[in-house]
Amino acid sequence: MNNHSLFDPAGPRTRRRHLILEIVTGAALAGLALLVLATLTKKGVFSADAWAPFAQPGLWKLLGQGLLHNIAAAAVGMVLSLAVGCLLAFGLVSTRTFLRRLSRVYTDVFSSIPLLLLLYFTSLVLPNYGLRLGDFWFLVIALTLYSGAVIGDLIRSGIVALPPGQSEAALALGFSQVGTLVRVLLPQALRSMSPALVSQLIILFKGTALAYVLGGYTELLRSATVIGQYFTQSLLQAQFVAAVGFLIVNVLLGVLADSLERRQRRLETQAPSPAGSDSLVLQTA
Amino acid sequence: MELLFNHAGDFGQGVLVTLGLVVYGFLGSIILGTILAALKTSPIRVARAVSSCYILVFRNIPLPVQMVLFVFGLPQLDIQFSLYSSAAIALVLYTAPFVAETIRSGLNTVDRGELEASMALGFAPMTSMRLLVLPQALATVVRPLGNVYITMVKNTSVAALVGVAELTFLTDKLAVDEASPFLIFAGSAICYLVLGLAVGRLGAALDRKVAFSR
Repeated sequence: MNNHSLFDPAGPRTRRRHLILEIVTGAALAGLALLVLATLTKKGVFSADAWAPFAQPGLWKLLGQGLLHNIAAAAVGMVLSLAVGCLLAFGLVSTRTFLRRLSRVYTDVFSSIPLLLLLYFTSLVLPNYGLRLGDFWFLVIALTLYSGAVIGDLIRSGIVALPPGQSEAALALGFSQVGTLVRVLLPQALRSMSPALVSQLIILFKGTALAYVLGGYTELLRSATVIGQYFTQSLLQAQFVAAVGFLIVNVLLGVLADSLERRQRRLETQAPSPAGSDSLVLQTA
Repeated sequence: MELLFNHAGDFGQGVLVTLGLVVYGFLGSIILGTILAALKTSPIRVARAVSSCYILVFRNIPLPVQMVLFVFGLPQLDIQFSLYSSAAIALVLYTAPFVAETIRSGLNTVDRGELEASMALGFAPMTSMRLLVLPQALATVVRPLGNVYITMVKNTSVAALVGVAELTFLTDKLAVDEASPFLIFAGSAICYLVLGLAVGRLGAALDRKVAFSR
């Protein structure tokens, strides 16, 4: 994102005014922070009593295990939804009308249904059909149903944005239709869409927290709640620690997505690719 | 099919609660998001830092975590709202960073030369902001904002996690009671499809309407 300013660089008088404003807002902010801290201390948020359970290593083990469970579900979900997404993308760019329409209906429907509804669906309906899987698989299947649709559409737009010469050349060289897709178009599409795919991984990771509702899979939010049940005085502290855990993983993934996007843009400026590849990748929740 | 009609009342109620969350979420997040975007583009460093911190924190903590923290954590500090308003507030807090980033990227699309031209023509800074920059920036932002709000419609379902009786929550309850949960889920999915489609259509209509100022 270009960070050009809309305004001319400030002159000496404006700079002075900005400095005064900065000091004033800084002071106001510090005052506010102190007030909040004082109130929190009065409520006993920082009291040794509330943080005492955190001295036990077993508690950290529980929290760490929770975070690992989140990461595991997101990782397995991502691998499966990449596979589903590739198949869907092949359907979406297929020359067969029926296959194309079918894939389109699937992507449109499943990308607009809330993940939580899918999670309820997998956990309630699948056991009726004899699929007695654990809560982990219910979560992963729900994630795959949703994310596969989104990734399918992403890969499709990556394939469509490639210059037509790519597939023409591959076909002229004697690649089959499938070979063209799998060996020529798909790798390029995956590479150009890699920042968006990492953004989707962030969405998946956030979605794993929904497994809280199943209760049978101790992900981070659930383990924080469990801690809160044993140590009622430290529920808020445990939830805070859980939130920080999610925050750190997501920020790291966000940094990865940004660096991938920068690399992508560098590659594009080196070898100019045709217009139409939208460089503005906004992460939507 | 008959099953769905029998529960039309339940679905209607669920849709109404969900719609309420969408409306409150939209109003709140557009106000908070605009403020955050303004702070982020301000020349005052403290304001920029505050906005960046807010965006970093609230965008990266998953909505379910924020919801649960808000509903089950904060009452420990004697901060308590009704379930419905806590869900709406958490939704606003979570959606606002996405709105802010979208609006800010819209501000960046306005060419600086246009502002220079308007100054050369004698427009005051605020007037050129009002007549030149904002109309263009907001016009480019309508479509991406529409996507943000389509996502928000789906995110209202997270309120079911803390027990707000919206569409997903009612669906789950009905599906547990009924013999054929498949149909219930299908009905609920159709409701969400229609809601998402309606928001998308509204966004597209607005986009056409503002297309001239782009």
